[in-house]
Amino acid sequence: MAGPPRGPVAPGRFSVRRRWTLALLTALLAVGVLFSPLLGTVAIAPETVLRILLHQLSSGRLFSDPCAGAPVPPSGCPGLIEIVWDARLSEVVLAVTVGAGLGLSGGTLQGVFRNPLADPFLLGLSSGGTLGTAVVVVFRVGVGEQNLLLPLFAFVGAIATGLVILVAARSRFGSVETLLLTGVALSSFLSAVLALLLVFSPTGSLQVDFWLLGNLGALDWSEDGIVFGVVLVAGTLLVAYGRELSLLQLGSDVAQSLGVDARKVRVRLLLLTSVTTAAAVAFTGVIGFVGLVSPHVVRRIAGNDYRVVLPGAALVGAGFLLAARDLALVAFPGTLLPIGIFTSFVGAPFFAYLLFRRRRASTMGAP
Amino acid sequence: MTDPASPPLRLRALTVRYGERTALYDVDLEVPRGQFLALAGPNGSGKTTLLRAALGFLVPAAGTVELFGSDVLRLSVVERARRVAWVPQEESPRDDVPLADYVLYGRYAHLSWLQGEAPADREEAMRALAAVGLADRSGDGILSVSGGERQRAILARALVQESPLLLLDEPTSHLDIGHQLDLLTRVRELSRERGVTVVAALHDLNLAAKFSDRIVVLSRGRRVADGSPSEVLSEELLARVWGVVADLRRDPRTGAPYLLPHHLVPPASPVPGTFLGRGPVHVIGGGGAGSPYLRALAEAGYRVTAGALNLLDSDLETAESLGALTAVEVPFAPLGPEVRERLRALLTAAAAIVVAPFPVGPSNLPNLEEVRGVLGRTRLLLVRRPVGPEWDFTGGRATELLDELRRHGAREVGGVEELLEFLAGELGVNAAAPSA
Amino acid sequence: MHLNGPPGSSPSPRRTVPLAWFVVGLVVVAGVAVVGVAGYYDYRGSSPAGPVTVTDDLGRHVSVPSDPNRVVVLGPSIMDAMYRLGLRSHVVGVDCYAASLGGLSDDYSSDQVALWNLTPSMCVEVEPSFDTEGLLAIGPQLILAATIVSTATIEQFSDTYHIPVVILQPASLGGVLVDIQLLGEIFHVGPAASTIEDELDAELASAAALQANLTGNGTPFPTVLVTYSADANGYWTYGPGTFGQSLIELASGASISANSTVSWPELSGEQVLASNPEYIVYGMGFGLNESSYTDGPFWSQFTATQDGHAVGLDSNYFTEPDPSMILEGLPALIAVLHPGSA
Repeated sequence: MAGPPRGPVAPGRFSVRRRWTLALLTALLAVGVLFSPLLGTVAIAPETVLRILLHQLSSGRLFSDPCAGAPVPPSGCPGLIEIVWDARLSEVVLAVTVGAGLGLSGGTLQGVFRNPLADPFLLGLSSGGTLGTAVVVVFRVGVGEQNLLLPLFAFVGAIATGLVILVAARSRFGSVETLLLTGVALSSFLSAVLALLLVFSPTGSLQVDFWLLGNLGALDWSEDGIVFGVVLVAGTLLVAYGRELSLLQLGSDVAQSLGVDARKVRVRLLLLTSVTTAAAVAFTGVIGFVGLVSPHVVRRIAGNDYRVVLPGAALVGAGFLLAARDLALVAFPGTLLPIGIFTSFVGAPFFAYLLFRRRRASTMGAP
Repeated sequence: MTDPASPPLRLRALTVRYGERTALYDVDLEVPRGQFLALAGPNGSGKTTLLRAALGFLVPAAGTVELFGSDVLRLSVVERARRVAWVPQEESPRDDVPLADYVLYGRYAHLSWLQGEAPADREEAMRALAAVGLADRSGDGILSVSGGERQRAILARALVQESPLLLLDEPTSHLDIGHQLDLLTRVRELSRERGVTVVAALHDLNLAAKFSDRIVVLSRGRRVADGSPSEVLSEELLARVWGVVADLRRDPRTGAPYLLPHHLVPPASPVPGTFLGRGPVHVIGGGGAGSPYLRALAEAGYRVTAGALNLLDSDLETAESLGALTAVEVPFAPLGPEVRERLRALLTAAAAIVVAPFPVGPSNLPNLEEVRGVLGRTRLLLVRRPVGPEWDFTGGRATELLDELRRHGAREVGGVEELLEFLAGELGVNAAAPSA
Repeated sequence: MHLNGPPGSSPSPRRTVPLAWFVVGLVVVAGVAVVGVAGYYDYRGSSPAGPVTVTDDLGRHVSVPSDPNRVVVLGPSIMDAMYRLGLRSHVVGVDCYAASLGGLSDDYSSDQVALWNLTPSMCVEVEPSFDTEGLLAIGPQLILAATIVSTATIEQFSDTYHIPVVILQPASLGGVLVDIQLLGEIFHVGPAASTIEDELDAELASAAALQANLTGNGTPFPTVLVTYSADANGYWTYGPGTFGQSLIELASGASISANSTVSWPELSGEQVLASNPEYIVYGMGFGLNESSYTDGPFWSQFTATQDGHAVGLDSNYFTEPDPSMILEGLPALIAVLHPGSA
């Protein structure tokens, strides 16, 4: 169970390892980001993709005719540019942002609840968000503005659920066990409400399913930017709580005796994860397994110090989502599958692998 | 900030309740700087509750807890951490964190929000590990080391907190004898050399006596004893608070007192054997006067104790033949303090006390004096005796004492039969009923 | 160690970034990222307003180009209307399921594919995911969509890439005529639209006349079960508020599921047996044929089955609110329910 004795260790040795882990993960992610725009439902030669990217980045100064020599679709070179720049690249950025947000949230919740099976949707956020979208769809709220209202209602639905949990966290029912149960109960309740709503509107269920399965595409750059901004700010604050989260693992009492106000920290972390998760999925829908698996990957490499696990989970989550997208495109060329299906498809066996091959003494990895 | 004149820990009329149950009742305590105070008491007496209140983990029903002059509940969590460090009874870490990092967690209260650890913090951690003798194990995981080493690592973590007050909750309960000594020695060093004020809940009275400056005994949430080990440790205390019959000895090397436990005060058991199910019947006699009573009681099925008797007394022979516990003194010597202790213990343990018509002289007068000391607590039965000098060789003092006993509720019986009748009649009567 | 000193003093040196500055810096960076990326690289600008502004079935006011000849149609009902209006040549893309998982044939029956001359190269994947890239590759000037696509998604696409989207989803049969008119307006095919409208009106009038006749004579409407799917538990049918129900009513039929609480109920075998409809119409196409229903509960015991009054019709007639529903489906249903009526 425990590792072998390792003898004396120079102070600071472990932060060096942390840095190397994060550097490696960042490098891997960078490779993924560079590689992903080459893949898409429309087949485009890599050279053409590169030329288009450089053309756009240099505001047209480089490669005045980026499509020269390449087969163009009916929409011509402008169409190709739109595909590569507006569709693919923004999808890549969104995947990175959403994956990072989910990884961060999952890691944080695993720490707050001291439960290796926690994921960003543990507190019923996915049910709340789905209910929000269902309200828009079933009651035909704001036709004509639905592309903005749907994500807005999803966000509000998810956040509202998070707030219920938060209120519970601040009350005398704020123990970790009670919160967990509250989240599960809330999730079930909201799912039931959702099912009821959809019984009376089967066409609505089509549209809600769309959101439930998760989709990365068809977003504006400015909407990407909103998600990016929120995830960046909330996510950074989450990372900054890494030390407190590590101390919380010792138990609420011990953490308190060392100076960590366990209840206050828990409330803040729950608020931040709710915001991060809600923002990450408001536009894309529910994407599973990313938040669950990413922190475990980091733990396998670098141990359970949350100062590493959180930023690492962000990097791994981003890479994982990107990889899932790329894999789906490679396995089913010319077809676009809902990303949520693929993350589960890839994530579940991967998670099983992680559990069976545990190496460290960390009980976080043990079933 | 903090008042330099304030004691590190002060409890004022502290009352703590868990629902219906009162865990601490009206406890006053003041711990001066640099003192090593041991909190002792049986399980459930409130030791852990007291420590938790001192840490601000619970809100008292009444009274206050002050750390260096400030109410603990008014301090922020970080401020509390800077003033008081805690070594809990048990800690179950989930991950195999290296000791160096584990100890470093203790620096949290001294770091500001976004700052990582400075080299000074890391040095502090290494120094603390060295202070507990784990410097060469700093890379080992907290789950890989032995229980004793883990406890020392936790102590080291408490050290790097640099708090002037250190609370330990049964730090030795999971340690073997060697580690117990080791840990407490180090803690005492801390207290002596660095001026750390230590409050340690210790279940082992002897360890407490050996290492601490002062012992406070809790029983059912109340403070029942407070003083130096020599002042506090006594057979009577052990019997009264712990229900254990023991012998008090002195450590030949250090002079510290220690208790040799023998067995429990005979536990409550259904009739027969004990009076009202609460304990044996104690017979005070001498010169053969107690023997008939001892034998009759034993035959009736009661368990008996006897004392204080001198070695040559025939009553002692009777008692020993019945297997009774006794308090014994050497012949012709007045009752020494240890024997009086023992007698007190036996009297306290008894459910009924019978004063046989023995001749009272200066050397066994203290028997009656000790009986007076347990007035009101047990059934007291005096065998009638004629007034007169045939038995009172204390210049009337014994007669006075007996009168006093009578006045305070002792009951007179004529002889063995009346005694047995009375005891039998008392069976089934509510123990709380007045005796006379 | 300063253990005797007043608590609260900490001797370690500080390497701090005050939290407030950190957060402010982050917000600034994020803001710059958002504004910079979105603003600087958005080369498209706003699209020129089209000369025609129409109001679609969801009440959206859309500015469309005049007589566009690169149109993507998302929904067989719209394709039907376009074909009848002689606008097939304007259509360059149609909705499909994922290419490697069914493609065209999941949305369009083989008859439709043949009749409308649809090819896989026209495929635009809308299910299970919306293929933005594919749609961009085709480069339409106008998209006509039914609500088989997530409204939010198609509106998002429209906003991002400045391609107008007109949503055609009639709420009732009357809406079919409105849509024909709308298409006529957009594509300047007024006369063709009028012709079709006249045909539709004629058909509807004929059905209305039949109904007036029956009610006048006091003849009860024949009871009917129209089912589009059967399983071991029963038969899926059309309830109130569906086009199927409207069609049955127009055809002077009395659907046994007319009073259901939900719009697409499943009736159990017992329920059908109890109602014992005179006619049964089962939907065909997309892999469904008679044998898909004969295994349903009590099938052989229904009176309609035994009397030879169980007939298969194209299931599209009951689901797609388009001209075919009225011009072909309605007469077909009337022929089944009222044999002998001209």
